[in-house]
Amino acid sequence: MKLLLVEDDKEAGAYLKKALAEAGHTVDHATGGREGLLLAAGEAYDVIILDRMLPELDGLAILRTIRASGVKTPVLLLTAVGGIDDRVEGLEAGGDDYLVKPFAFVELLARVNALARRPPPQDLQATLQVADLQLDRLKRTVIRGGARIELQPREFQLLEYLMRHAGRVVTRTMLLESVWDFHFDPKTNIVETHMSRLRSKIDRGYSPELLHTVRGAGYCLREPD
Amino acid sequence: MFRSTSLRLAALYTAAFALSVVVLGAITLVTTRVTLSREFDARIKAETVGLAQEARKEGLSSVVEAVQERDRTPGALEYGLCGPNGEPLAGRLAPTRPPLGWSKAPIRQPGGGVESVRMMTTVLPGGARLTVGDDDDRIEALQRAVLSAFAWAFGGVVVLGALGGYGLSRSVRRRLGEMTDAAEGIIDGDLARRIPVGGADDDLDRLAASFNRTLDRIATLMESLRQVSTDIAHDLRTPLTRLRQRLESSRSLASDDERAEALSGALEDVDAILETFSALLRIAQIEGGARRFSFLPVELSSLAKSMVDDLAPSAEDAGRALSFDNGGEIWVDGDRELLAQMLVNLIDNALRHAGDRAQVRTHLVDQGAVISVCDNGPGVPSAERSRIFDRFYRLERSRSTPGSGLGLALVAAIARLHGATLDLVDRHPGIEVRATFPLSQKPRTLAFPNLQDSASSAASP
Repeated sequence: MKLLLVEDDKEAGAYLKKALAEAGHTVDHATGGREGLLLAAGEAYDVIILDRMLPELDGLAILRTIRASGVKTPVLLLTAVGGIDDRVEGLEAGGDDYLVKPFAFVELLARVNALARRPPPQDLQATLQVADLQLDRLKRTVIRGGARIELQPREFQLLEYLMRHAGRVVTRTMLLESVWDFHFDPKTNIVETHMSRLRSKIDRGYSPELLHTVRGAGYCLREPD
Repeated sequence: MFRSTSLRLAALYTAAFALSVVVLGAITLVTTRVTLSREFDARIKAETVGLAQEARKEGLSSVVEAVQERDRTPGALEYGLCGPNGEPLAGRLAPTRPPLGWSKAPIRQPGGGVESVRMMTTVLPGGARLTVGDDDDRIEALQRAVLSAFAWAFGGVVVLGALGGYGLSRSVRRRLGEMTDAAEGIIDGDLARRIPVGGADDDLDRLAASFNRTLDRIATLMESLRQVSTDIAHDLRTPLTRLRQRLESSRSLASDDERAEALSGALEDVDAILETFSALLRIAQIEGGARRFSFLPVELSSLAKSMVDDLAPSAEDAGRALSFDNGGEIWVDGDRELLAQMLVNLIDNALRHAGDRAQVRTHLVDQGAVISVCDNGPGVPSAERSRIFDRFYRLERSRSTPGSGLGLALVAAIARLHGATLDLVDRHPGIEVRATFPLSQKPRTLAFPNLQDSASSAASP
């Protein structure tokens, strides 16, 4: 994927560029707001990673400018200020996701991947399918291998999110934000518990396993290769 | 001196009052003059008509007698009666031989002195001329009296206005001066300084009270900021030192494996430090109070239920039980996410540090809405009760269990933000942490009114 990274901290920028390149992406790195704006408006990228605080031109100003000029590229905002108002402000300016520094690189990578191939309005789709696992959003039923699986409401939401992001790594934080609507870390193993219950319901006794734990990163629901 | 607002206002008001006295005086003057003249004229005319009738009935000689009689009466009108050829017959006005109709002439008085007399002359049947007049100076005198009264009033208004205005402005200036002094004192660093509030409960008192509350709030924020800095300095230094030691010793490690292990240990340390750091920031942010502006009505029971549903599975997996006692629909004004976090922290605290059973309960009391978390652990020694909501405070027996010592501090901050009170109630065994919220004042609409509730209450006997 072709990514634009706008980050004024040279060291952090260079590290991210290297790590993203190692993950198989092509990265353009702009260190200033103006350069970032020129690149963002001029080139076609899959995802733009935009630092909020930049010299010359503020990250939000860039975001508003490119959105006003019709650029629809998904934007991931990076910020050192993580207050709820800052998050809302960033999303209202046209950002697609928001990551508070400091973050683990896997978190950034997972979010970039989630953004890049953000599913076309799958929300309209009534059923989701991964291998022989089927989820019907209207009837709120889950079927695997022809057998109906009973899920708790939260487990259903969790599975729905995983299936919408099938094949991609989703992190614990992404799940907390999207499934629980928690923008704080509850410091309990709430995600792990629900995940293990979900796994026991959709994977136990079936083959192959669909729900995978990605060590140090998160979870991934995917069809076997 | 005119840089004082109150003095300027007082001067302005005095000037306005003085001006209105002048205008009032002018109006009174003109009105008295016109009214009095009309009255005088009417009196003269009436007298003339009376005497003319007498002449017609009784003859001229009777009129001469009447005029002579009246001339002797003090305070009467002035008269003059001349024969058909102009010879004076009676009355003081006769020698002046006034022309017919209205006229005005100076008349010598018997006591000496001259007065201006306004008079009317008519021809009586038989050709004699009758003149009736009145002392015009009386109008002038009356007008002078009115004028002098208003002049005194004018002087009075100016003097009283100036004195009153000066006094008023002095008292206002004194009180404003106190406020300025207090503000200057605070600028100079005396943060405990407050504006003295008088007992009158007037607008300046209320202003002073508002200022003082503002200052109290700022002082609280400053104190919390200072506390945070102290806490950070104190409680982050320890893990940072440990991290430094770990990194330092890893430089002398020989094998790659050992070094990798040391590094991942260091990474864990950093994560723990960052976690503490962000928890502290979050507490500080909540204590800042800005989120109060985005408060919305929140239904406590459904929130509590969904939290219990979310947390019960992991509690079960750990061999603990979490239950919920639903007290029905209870609305409070708040921040849903913060309330959720408060509950998570309370539940987590109960299950982690206390017993193996916890119960969440919602109910209504007279003072408001109560949400409580009750455990079956050994309770909290009364000496430590006031401190368990402090940052980094941990009970002796909890020091070995994982935790940052910030969970309950966050709970306290969230409760304070919501105007809720936190109480610890002994349950023998265990302890109940009870948060009492003020009930929601905002209007709300239920998108889906709880049909089930009304159905069950209708079915119950």
